[in-house]
Amino acid sequence: MPLTIESISKDDYHLISLTGDVDTKTAPSLMEALTGLELAGLSELRIEMASVGFLSSAGLRVLVFAKQKMPHASRLILVGTSDEIADVINKTGLSQAMSLVPSHEEA
Amino acid sequence: MQLERIDSLPTDEISGLRVRPGKPLPFGVSHAPNGLNFSIYTSAGTACTLVLFRRGEEQPFAELPFPAHYRIGDVFCMVVFDLDYEGIEYGFRIDGPQDPVAGHRFDASKVLMDPYARAISGRDQWGEAPNWQALYPYRACVSLDDFDWEAERPLEIPSQDLVVYEAHVRAYTQSDSSGVKHPGTYAGLVEKIPYLKDLGVNAIELMPIYEFDEFENSRLHPDTGELLYNFWGYSTVGFFAPKANFAATGRFGMQVDEFKQLVKSFHRAGIEVILDVVFNHTAEGNEHGPTLSFKGLDNKTYYMLTPEGYYFNFSGTGNTLNCNNPIVRNLVLDCLRYWAAEYHIDGFRFDLATILGRDPWGAPLPNPPLLESLAFDPILSSCKLIAEAWDAGGLYQVGTFPAFGRWGEWNGKYRDCLRRYLKGDGAQVGQLAQRVQGSPDLYQPSGRSPATSVNFITCHDGFTLADLVSYNDKHNEANGEGNRDGGDDNYSWNCGAEGWTDNPGIQALRLRQSMNAMVMLLTSRGTPMLLMGDEFGRSQHGNNNAYCLDSAISWVDWTLLQENAQLHDFVRGLIHFRHAHPALRVNRFDAPPSNLFPDCSFHGVNAWQPDWSADSRQLAWMFSTNSDSQPAGGDTVDVGTVDVDTVYVASNMAHYASWFSFPDLPAGFRWHLCFNTGNGDQPFDLSQPAQGDGGILLGDRSVLVLTAKPV
Repeated sequence: MPLTIESISKDDYHLISLTGDVDTKTAPSLMEALTGLELAGLSELRIEMASVGFLSSAGLRVLVFAKQKMPHASRLILVGTSDEIADVINKTGLSQAMSLVPSHEEA
Repeated sequence: MQLERIDSLPTDEISGLRVRPGKPLPFGVSHAPNGLNFSIYTSAGTACTLVLFRRGEEQPFAELPFPAHYRIGDVFCMVVFDLDYEGIEYGFRIDGPQDPVAGHRFDASKVLMDPYARAISGRDQWGEAPNWQALYPYRACVSLDDFDWEAERPLEIPSQDLVVYEAHVRAYTQSDSSGVKHPGTYAGLVEKIPYLKDLGVNAIELMPIYEFDEFENSRLHPDTGELLYNFWGYSTVGFFAPKANFAATGRFGMQVDEFKQLVKSFHRAGIEVILDVVFNHTAEGNEHGPTLSFKGLDNKTYYMLTPEGYYFNFSGTGNTLNCNNPIVRNLVLDCLRYWAAEYHIDGFRFDLATILGRDPWGAPLPNPPLLESLAFDPILSSCKLIAEAWDAGGLYQVGTFPAFGRWGEWNGKYRDCLRRYLKGDGAQVGQLAQRVQGSPDLYQPSGRSPATSVNFITCHDGFTLADLVSYNDKHNEANGEGNRDGGDDNYSWNCGAEGWTDNPGIQALRLRQSMNAMVMLLTSRGTPMLLMGDEFGRSQHGNNNAYCLDSAISWVDWTLLQENAQLHDFVRGLIHFRHAHPALRVNRFDAPPSNLFPDCSFHGVNAWQPDWSADSRQLAWMFSTNSDSQPAGGDTVDVGTVDVDTVYVASNMAHYASWFSFPDLPAGFRWHLCFNTGNGDQPFDLSQPAQGDGGILLGDRSVLVLTAKPV
């Protein structure tokens, strides 16, 4: 499934909405979208995940990469991540780089 | 303006891919600017081709012959640009002579796996039948070493302070009764950390987690038709790769991260991770076995061969790795360094380690260079190195393993002596005295310390503790080998009935015998090791060699934790007692006396009068130490100016009760009773002054533990 990326700047944070699969074929476009942001100046980046069916290790590493470019005290928040993807993030220890929340209200 | 590196640009094009000559080191795959560097060794191969696959596809998308000038010495190396590191799998074809008598078995029709592969795919889902016709069954993958350890590092707990717990990743949580979210995986094991921490163990020794193939030599049970696996995994496919289908995330290729997360989680709980590693042989078998990697890369280098070109078999499994060839030596060293540095592994237990000390023709070396290199390696300097100091070729080196002041040993003599004493054999007390003080007869002459000895009564190989006290004979029918496999010298005793019984007297005796074994193990000096589930009576129903059983026989049944809560609580109490008593963990054979007693003394039913006769089945031992000569911590008591810790253990393996008189204490002290397996209702943590102080009537086949405390 192809990946569509929507990027919107909000008042308090930047929102990236993803639809589709993030794998080795599509991860580079996500990387491009993220590096296009001023990551070093972002205090909060939210990624809308509810419409993501699959997130491969390449995709995960793009997210960790983004977090490492953001300021130390910043937040990377994944919203609405499926249980399966959340599981991979937790089991591989990548959860320390990001927070997982079910909805924007809880972010 | 930033200059672009010259080596980030290709110089040639091969098979449509842009390449340049690579670097010979490190072997395997490494990340180069804009590409991947592939490096492979073969001394007798004449040509080499890099074969690239897209993940999961049967046929390669590119084959790149190495040009002659891409070879440096015996190493072919090439940088390939623009590769998607996550989506590729790679292998090599090597051409060369097919001359088995000369030791050469080159076959360019095979795609060979990189012996340095950091991740391997092809067996991502446990038990999923492989395609036997596949061109390339196990596939080398590229991994990233970018795990974020934060401030985590190996724990470096002194060996004498360890309580080791031997476990099998899949067997530990595969049963539904484990209650974990991801049964049979690294992630499942992580979920059991709170249990292990509560139990008090501070090291887990994992049976093989290097990539192996559960389908290697798989067969059907001749009677039942059940599929039998290579379940234990003592047969390595790839030394640098964690087993993918032990990872809940293995199908996403994330096993490297998941296993690192396991180590990190264990370290956070204060528990070391020790790997059981198998360098004595590989999964390629003998001349009839498959050609997967070494055999086709440089057969003569990697295996010990007979003059006729057949495989020596000191491992009992077909082939023997040629460990003291310098190339293989470096492979082993590189491998262990990688696990120590990249995975923060705390120690290694070497399966059939005696093979690592044999020369290329099988003779034991007096000064084996591999063992010496490992002992003095700067990267492994704080890792535990533990030898299984025997091999299937008949070499038995417990006490004489070339240790270079560094190696510990699985003490098979401890196991045998404790088992024989436990079942009531005569002529054991003399040897028992050696075993419980850390086997000075084996280790003191060469200047080694008590913690050299890894003390154990049970391990994966042989009866579980519950079976040791429930069976006289092995019952390995489920293995489909007519009960001929597995050891016959079990020194076990069924307590009066073979296998399950509803006789309450026998049940009570078995429970007591299990407790007796645990008391003696956990009050011996040295490094104690328990087998998973023994603390709550895990049974394999008399099977003493469940290597091929991926079934309830092998899986830990967690319902027993409730059923045998008394045994569990007892063992837990003992482990915590051990941690609290430095006298049990003294790591010197020549320790000075404490302010109360000698460092180590032996007694019989009468204090200070051990009965060393062959008929004697009673022995008491007492350890006493001043805290100023020992590391801080623990349950010591103040005696004037210094703290003293004293532990007295009396064992009665006779079939009758005996009055044991205790050593006299100076005024102001009393003996306190901590454990008494002869007291069926309340065998432990009595933590009260011993009645009468002078002694106690110790029941038949019972053990008690006292400590000296001020009034």
